[in-house]
Amino acid sequence: MLISRRQFLKLASLSTIGAVACNFFDEEEFIAQSPVRLPEDLVTGIDNWYATNGNGPETEGLLVRVIEGRAKKVQGNPLFPTNKGVSSIRSEALLQELYHPDRLSGPMVRTGPRGSKESFVSSGDWDKSLEILYKKLYSLVDHDQMLMITGAKRGSLAFLIQEFTNTYGGNHAVCKSVDELVYENTIKKVFQQEKFPHFDIAKSDFILSIGGDFLGTWLSPIKHGRGWGEFRQGEGRSRGTLIHVDSRFSLTAANADEWLPITPGQEGKLALSIAFVLLDEGLIDKTIADDLTEGQGSRALIDFAPDTIGDQLGIPHVRHRSTPDIIRETARAFAKHGQKSLAIGGGNAAAHTNGSFNMNAIYLLNHLVGSVNTEGGIIFNPSAPIPELNVSLKPNSMIEMESITKKITDGGVKLLLIHGSNPVYSMPADLRFKEAINRDDIFVVSFSSFLDETSQMADLILPDRVTLESWSNDIPDPGPGFQVVSMGQPVVNPLPGINPMAFGDILVRMGHELGMTDNPTFNNASYYDLLRNHANRLFSLQRGSITKPNFDAFWNTLLQRGVWWDLESIGDNQTLEIPSLIDTIKQKSEPAITGPSGSTHNIFYLVPFEHISLTDGTNAHMPWLQSTPDPITSVAWTSWIEMNTDTAKGLAIKEGDIVNIEGANGETISAQVYHHPAVPPTVVSMPFGQGRKSGDVYSKDRGPNPMEILGMPHDKHTGSLAWASTTVRITKTQERTPIPKFEGIVPAYATSEEEAIAKVTNES
Amino acid sequence: MAIQHKWGMVIDIDRCTGCQACVIACQAENNIPVNEKVDFLSRRAKQWIRIDRFWEGEYPNIKARFIPVLCQHCENAPCEPVCPVFATYHNNEGLNVQVYNRCVGTRYCANNCPYQVRFFNFFNPKFPESLKNQLNPDVTIRSRGIMEKCTFCIQRIRRAERTIEGKEGRVLNDETMRDGNYNPACVSACPTETLTFGDLNNPNSQVVKKSKNKRNYRLLENLGTDPNVIYLKKVDPHHQKEGHHA
Repeated sequence: MLISRRQFLKLASLSTIGAVACNFFDEEEFIAQSPVRLPEDLVTGIDNWYATNGNGPETEGLLVRVIEGRAKKVQGNPLFPTNKGVSSIRSEALLQELYHPDRLSGPMVRTGPRGSKESFVSSGDWDKSLEILYKKLYSLVDHDQMLMITGAKRGSLAFLIQEFTNTYGGNHAVCKSVDELVYENTIKKVFQQEKFPHFDIAKSDFILSIGGDFLGTWLSPIKHGRGWGEFRQGEGRSRGTLIHVDSRFSLTAANADEWLPITPGQEGKLALSIAFVLLDEGLIDKTIADDLTEGQGSRALIDFAPDTIGDQLGIPHVRHRSTPDIIRETARAFAKHGQKSLAIGGGNAAAHTNGSFNMNAIYLLNHLVGSVNTEGGIIFNPSAPIPELNVSLKPNSMIEMESITKKITDGGVKLLLIHGSNPVYSMPADLRFKEAINRDDIFVVSFSSFLDETSQMADLILPDRVTLESWSNDIPDPGPGFQVVSMGQPVVNPLPGINPMAFGDILVRMGHELGMTDNPTFNNASYYDLLRNHANRLFSLQRGSITKPNFDAFWNTLLQRGVWWDLESIGDNQTLEIPSLIDTIKQKSEPAITGPSGSTHNIFYLVPFEHISLTDGTNAHMPWLQSTPDPITSVAWTSWIEMNTDTAKGLAIKEGDIVNIEGANGETISAQVYHHPAVPPTVVSMPFGQGRKSGDVYSKDRGPNPMEILGMPHDKHTGSLAWASTTVRITKTQERTPIPKFEGIVPAYATSEEEAIAKVTNES
Repeated sequence: MAIQHKWGMVIDIDRCTGCQACVIACQAENNIPVNEKVDFLSRRAKQWIRIDRFWEGEYPNIKARFIPVLCQHCENAPCEPVCPVFATYHNNEGLNVQVYNRCVGTRYCANNCPYQVRFFNFFNPKFPESLKNQLNPDVTIRSRGIMEKCTFCIQRIRRAERTIEGKEGRVLNDETMRDGNYNPACVSACPTETLTFGDLNNPNSQVVKKSKNKRNYRLLENLGTDPNVIYLKKVDPHHQKEGHHA
């Protein structure tokens, strides 16, 4: 067939178009595959998720992902009533506690000088090691010379510790310097409650918060955070308002609609001034006002009138208002929302010599507006469902710790058992706890999983299992307003070469060895059996979220869910007596601030605070928590001192300069300065949590510990350490080092005001 | 017919407290090595999601603003066209994807990203031997010389799909791929529910509902990158005009 030139060109162009079109529509040619879908990247392991509970003061229900015998990820348990599926950074880091490179591999005994890391050698198997402890317990003639120091505990372990020390006849103390004793005492006095109440933040319309960093570290920040999201932008409600009063710019202050700086120790007077306005302007129910003031009304509070005491509080002219106007406006806003107004306080407001006065005055405001045991207010928590789980070992006061330390110093303690606590580091240096136990006639046994300042002073170390390897239960405190029991199970076994033993099992075995079988607690074969027995008691109630026909089914469901609750079992308010405001007024006292004397230009109030991730230093050995930037300053891996930017410049102190900080006890520590635009000019702040002098590679030598310079001032009523009631003298040195911080790593956005990154509106 | 997803996120900065829970959850899930002190000092700390903090005002009328920033998974991503080896590209689910074994480390993408969310591995990652036990087997550990960034935890999306199709034997659709069963680690951890993740193509998803809030905006909108991350403005009743001071 002949093809003309024209036909050839037509066919050629058509075939070219066809070829191009076919290729053009072949999309697969151009779609690159996601790497995780490539065959070599497919994961064949099957993951299992186990429910357990976290460790420490904040109880969180957790789910842990386990693949081929290794824990891979910690997440919140969606069924758990307090954290409802989310988790804190502290829980996330439990993996690093589990797989920490410096974990003790097994029992150790001291063979060299006390206090030296090199003095420890393996003490062989557990039977031999426990034999040493058993002999010490058995040979002690006067059992009063045995002292057990633990951290704060709840649930079955608290019950077991109590039973062991009582049956043996020894003594027990709980050691924690940043404690909640003043708060606990206030709750008892103002609301007659044993358990910490639940703050109904989610349904509250207005929160007046004084001192406590409830979104950062105070009490239960994850539980508070769950309420916070709803408080701000919950569906079907208007946006809540937060006014936060604080002598430092905390995370809660940073999130408040208004932050009111205040002179440390003046918080109680402010609360009573607000109470005066409520009464004087008739903003609250007259019957309640008369009940609280014994019929005197605002006359009872005349000394706290805003115009009278405004100048004493140190509140600056926020939004160009005078202090009396600020107090009046705050009081009116508080009263406006009535029963949905919440007054909460804690943290540094309680850590003064007049801490009890401050706290009583703050919490009484809830009675004034009627927000006690109402939706959006303070809701009481019930006791535990069974008495065995109601035991709560709470910290001893600083006065009690002084007396305990003196007994050790005087030779009154021959056997010291320490679990879940590091008093050599965490107690104020003036307590001289290390010196007290540094003697030849005392035998110290530590149950720490790591070498730290206290375990290094021990004669025998019997390492406990860490959280993710342990059986446990707990009663959240504060709970959600109804009965909750959490259940923890080991999600993995210890790694090969790591040979710990659960502290609960050691106590049960010691009970057996010492013939404590008259006490039914020690008829259990193990701590696991004790937990099962307590769970059996729970099962026999036949109520709550798990009801099963037999105990095995109940136990399995409890382990699967990690939690039991009963919505019907709520706190009791039938016996509530409204306390007299007059008593609190009579308590009025000024804080006794101690510190260096002399020239005042470089003297500041010292307001320490708990570190967002390391808290009081308990978590300092976890690298994720060391590397977590502080939310406000973004500093990581070290300590720092926050100074107002303008004040620091006035003293010719640049950021990163090392300054000497002379404390209330005359001792001096050094820290790097961080220029902070929101610190009050009269205040400097430092985090607790760093300053470890021995221990693992991640926590050691990372800045100072403010506990070394605080002295030991205490609240007049509870004896709790008044850690925010001192001043310090700041002196510049010639040294300077850069601060490790996240700030500045990402270059600033070159944008105009209209193209702001964090946009703000005044319309909710 | 397979469902066509377009993954996106809504970030309500009025809920965000700046607590850093999302940051550590991301590090744990995605095998990001611990940022050591030297990394902060040398300005090479890696955070696939970070919390930026801005100051506004002067003491005592001062405010701190927090905003979580992660890869915006832009529809018109400036990082994509500059990659000479197609290591970064846009997939058909709206994700800006980084193929590690294609990356040759030119760092053009990081230079071109206006959000500063891409990180270069200047060194091989280091994990103490015992801490390797916690590494997530679903996620590749990135070696020296390549770029990495937020993936919206694509491994969790794929696991959810495999679970639905394989383990449960169900058909993949909007009903079975429901909100919440494929959340990225940051979303799972956030205590205040600041972050919401989901399918922007599913009109019933939470992410679509929340994105219609009148407070919505996108970061650096004027650049025309069309991000799949939508922000909701911070509310401050005392705020005078929109803007911030870094």
